[in-house]
Formats: sequence, C-alpha cells, structure tokens
Amino acid sequence: MNQPTEFAQHLANSPWPAEGPSRAPYWTFVDPATYQREQEKIFRGSNWHFLGLEAEVPDPGSYKSNRIGDTPVVLTRDHDGSLHAVVNRCAHRGNIVCRDELGKAQSLYCVYHAWVYDLKGNLTSAAFRRGIRGEGGLPEDFKLEDHGLQKLRVATICGLVFGSFDHHIMPLEDWLGEVGDGIRRTLPRPLKVLGYDTQRIHANWKNYHENPRDSFHANILHTFFATFGLSRQSQESAMILDSAGRHVYFYTKAGTERPDENFDKTQSTLRSKKSDFNLRDMSLLNWQDEYGDGISIQILTLFPSFVLHQISNSLATRQLVTYSPTMCDLHWTYFGFEDDTPEMTDRRLFHQNLVGSAGLVSMEDASVCEMIRRSLGESPEGASFMQMGGKDLTSGGTSKLSERALRNFWHTYRGQMGL
Amino acid sequence: MNSSITLEARAAIENLNYEWARLIDENKIEAIGDLMTESADYKVASRFNVDRNLPSAVIHCRSRAQLLDRITAMRVANIYEKQCYRHVVSGVQVLGAASDFGANAWETRANYVVIRTMEHDGSMIVYSTGQYCDVVVFEGDAPKFARRHVVYDSRMIETVLVIPI
Repeated sequence: MNQPTEFAQHLANSPWPAEGPSRAPYWTFVDPATYQREQEKIFRGSNWHFLGLEAEVPDPGSYKSNRIGDTPVVLTRDHDGSLHAVVNRCAHRGNIVCRDELGKAQSLYCVYHAWVYDLKGNLTSAAFRRGIRGEGGLPEDFKLEDHGLQKLRVATICGLVFGSFDHHIMPLEDWLGEVGDGIRRTLPRPLKVLGYDTQRIHANWKNYHENPRDSFHANILHTFFATFGLSRQSQESAMILDSAGRHVYFYTKAGTERPDENFDKTQSTLRSKKSDFNLRDMSLLNWQDEYGDGISIQILTLFPSFVLHQISNSLATRQLVTYSPTMCDLHWTYFGFEDDTPEMTDRRLFHQNLVGSAGLVSMEDASVCEMIRRSLGESPEGASFMQMGGKDLTSGGTSKLSERALRNFWHTYRGQMGL
Repeated sequence: MNSSITLEARAAIENLNYEWARLIDENKIEAIGDLMTESADYKVASRFNVDRNLPSAVIHCRSRAQLLDRITAMRVANIYEKQCYRHVVSGVQVLGAASDFGANAWETRANYVVIRTMEHDGSMIVYSTGQYCDVVVFEGDAPKFARRHVVYDSRMIETVLVIPI
C-alpha cells in the first residue's frame, strides 16, 4: 500500500492554496490517492451517512442494500423491530451476504460457505464448523461471537435512517445542529416510497456535492426555474448553516418578488430567463403550499453525500455513492406521506418531471459536473475560486447569493482529510 | 387475444414504431407529436420501479402538449452535452384489442435499443434498452399512439435523459 506516500507527495508538490477554504485545488477532484483517503477519513470516518428510509424496511426481517462511499452496507430491521446496519461483506472470505436491493429475510446468509448471520450482524453458524468424522472444521478456539459482520451505529430522524462507522460519534441530532430544523419541517409525518432513480455521473463526487450547496447557480443555470418564477434571486429566501458549518439548507418562496435595480440589470444578461419560452401546458407549475409556510423550494445538504429536497410538491432524498475519483451515482428516492390523498400523490409524481435524471430543472447539474470533469483532465493545475459573499466561513450571512456553504464544505473536508 | 386486426393495420402499427424512432434519430423530434393523439400519455419508467409496482417515472407527460413542452425545453432551455441517438426497434407485436381505448385500439409491444453518440468526443454507448408498452388507435387510416410507456431495463441512467426514447 503506497497510498500515504503518494498522498504526502501530492501535498508536497501541490499544497492547499494560501487563501484557504475559498479555494479548492483541482487535483482533489481526480487524484486516486485522495479518493482512497476520502473513503477512510470521510465515508468510514466520523460522519453520519444516509442508509435509507424507515419506510423501506417496514417489517421485521426487511432489509435494504446500500453503500457508504464505496463500502457496501445493509440496513436491516430485526425481529424485535430495531434497526441495524452492517457492512455487506462476509467475515469469512469477503463475499456479499445480502445480494438483493430490497426484501425480507430471516437472516443474512453467505452463499459461498454458508456462514449465517442474524439481522443484527452476529454470526450464528458456520457450515462444517466441526468438520466431518473428526477431520476438517474450524479450530477449537473459534468463537462465533468473534466473527460477526462489521456493525455501524444507527440513528433516525423523521423517518430517515443514518449510520456511522464511528461508534463514538456525537448523536445525530447534535451533528445536524440547526439544519435538523429543515428536516423536521419537511418530514412531519410517516413516509411512503414512490420509487427510485439512479443517475450515473462521470465526475468526482465532490463536484456534485458542491452543486446543491451552491444556492446561487440555480437561477443562472436552470432556465426552467427562472423563466417560470419557481425560483428567482429576487424572491424571499434564506440560507441556513449549522454552527459547525457542515450542513446547509436554503429555501425560496415563490410569488414573493421584491424588485431590485441590480437584480433587473443582471437578470437581463442571464441566458436562463427566456422570455420566448412558453409552455403549452402550464399545469406543471401548479403546486400546493402543503406546509403553509409559502416555501416552494427547499434544498438541504448534509456533509458529505446527502440531499433532501422539496421542489414544488416533489419530495426526494438524493444520495451520492462513489466508484472512483471520476465516477459516482446519485440515488434519488421519491416519496410522499402515508396519509397523502390520491390527488397529492399524483401531484408529487407529476412534479417528478422537474427533478431527477430527466428533470426539466435538475438535469443540468449532472451535465455541468461532467463538463467540469472534461475541463480538468487527468492532472489539472490550479484551484477553483469561491468568494461570492466573502472569503471566510461566516461572510455572506444568510444570503443565497453566496458561496459560504461551499467554503464551509471545504473547511470541513480539509479538517477530516488532514489537508 | 383478438386476432381480428387486418394485415394492413398490423403493418401500419409496425411502421408507426419505426417512424417514431426515425424522427428522433434524424433530429426531427418535434414531429413525434404528430404520431400521438392529443391526450396521449407518454411515460418513461424503470423496470426496477415497474416490477415493484412503484409509480415513480423519470418522465411522465400526460398529453401531447406536455411532451412538446419537454422538447421545447430541450431545444431552448436545458443544458447538456450535444448528443444523438440511434434506435434499433424490433419485435413489434400486437397483443390484442385495447377495448378501454375504444374500437380499433390495439395493445402493442416492441423492443428497443438506443445507442447514444456524443458530439464532442464521438464516444458511443448502449444508452438504453427496454420495451415500448403501447396502445395504438386509428384516427381514420392513421395509427397514433394513445399511450406510449417506455420501460427501460437498467435502473441507472447515464448522466441525463433529455432526448425522448
């Protein structure tokens, strides 16, 4: 394993720019040694990672396969109703123990040599442990309890299940801080899954993670938003970070235009507001203020790989899983509430046209990530520049016209990576 | 199975499938609107969701107007890398009458493969494979899709789905 040396060499050759968190060196987006270190320090480090919805594992024996970074994990509900998460890798020879995405099982069973685990991840039997006729078998001192699956710590908030490799990590609600308010607002009732969508992005996972933190690109890149007034910078909006700066959410209230001379001047130069673009059918723009707070869009991003969105009446989680420095998948899970009327379910499904892999609004995000990837090549020099709203972690305040949440991301990233 | 469909009608349904593919591949995408009824339902959903009875679809246009809006957005609003499709359509089958859609309405199936080519570097991939689950009705002699439900096989979409399948 020459990874630490390679990584140290990298830092020596190309240290982090002196400007600090308002710059991110481009090598962090392509470098294999950096990717490996991220898996260790961030994904298997002291963070909470999205595992799924409680609604996806509703019954005793329910399970869902997932990944944290590139480590396969399984979320289970035990016979006593408790939630558990384990690494999906047999303690014997490393085979996958849960091969299906979603389902129900009595136990986790490795098909290779029949090692069987209970739904908490404890090894309950190993085939031919005593051998046959006194030959073969495992040593006398073999103890089942020493060979369970690797267990994660699990916690829930409002029907979302999170897991951590760090059993001493602070409680989930403390880790979320003020950004937990954005979850509690959006998910007040039990959830009902509507479906899944996976979008493959041939770019570094951080390119995508930066995107929903960047509240000011939306009205520039996404024509559909601006043209039809779903989200404009002139509307009432705010950006909220937790005190540690790990997470962020921002919201916009449609129909609250406040005129501003600078806005008018800039807006007229943006390609995103097209006055010649008219819809034949405007019904996609009808939304219901289901929370009664006027918020038409709320995007909430947790370090390092999770998004919860409300876009009109579309509700979804987005989770990044990684494959390599230049490939990741974005897993969209669409849902509503158990008590939704058929009309509301129908509206949520209709509003899915705005988001996801084919989203009239959100399709641009993956495209831009890949365009950045194209520009960087394999050994890029230089660094990105993030000084909208200021240069440090607090400047920019609650304005959406700010890269404050990006600076805070890179601050947290550097801390965890030891950069 | 209703076998009362004429050979001419069967050939017209097959041709309708090829026409749809040709118009998209030749970048005359707006013209697929002429192959649909006004109230046609165009949906693109993954086999993963369909197999689990999950209603979510990545595209669901509930009228011809909504699909044409999507094509307009693709032309003037959406940002994506320039690309084109080549459809290979095969196995066009008429399963029987679709009586819910009136007289002379047919439940049909076809398979497709879409190969996508990127303009900037010429890279090509098998972008999507799947099944068209359609209802074709006849407006006079002209066959039209009253329903075109695309069920794609992979649960994963490469980067973005912007050009209709």
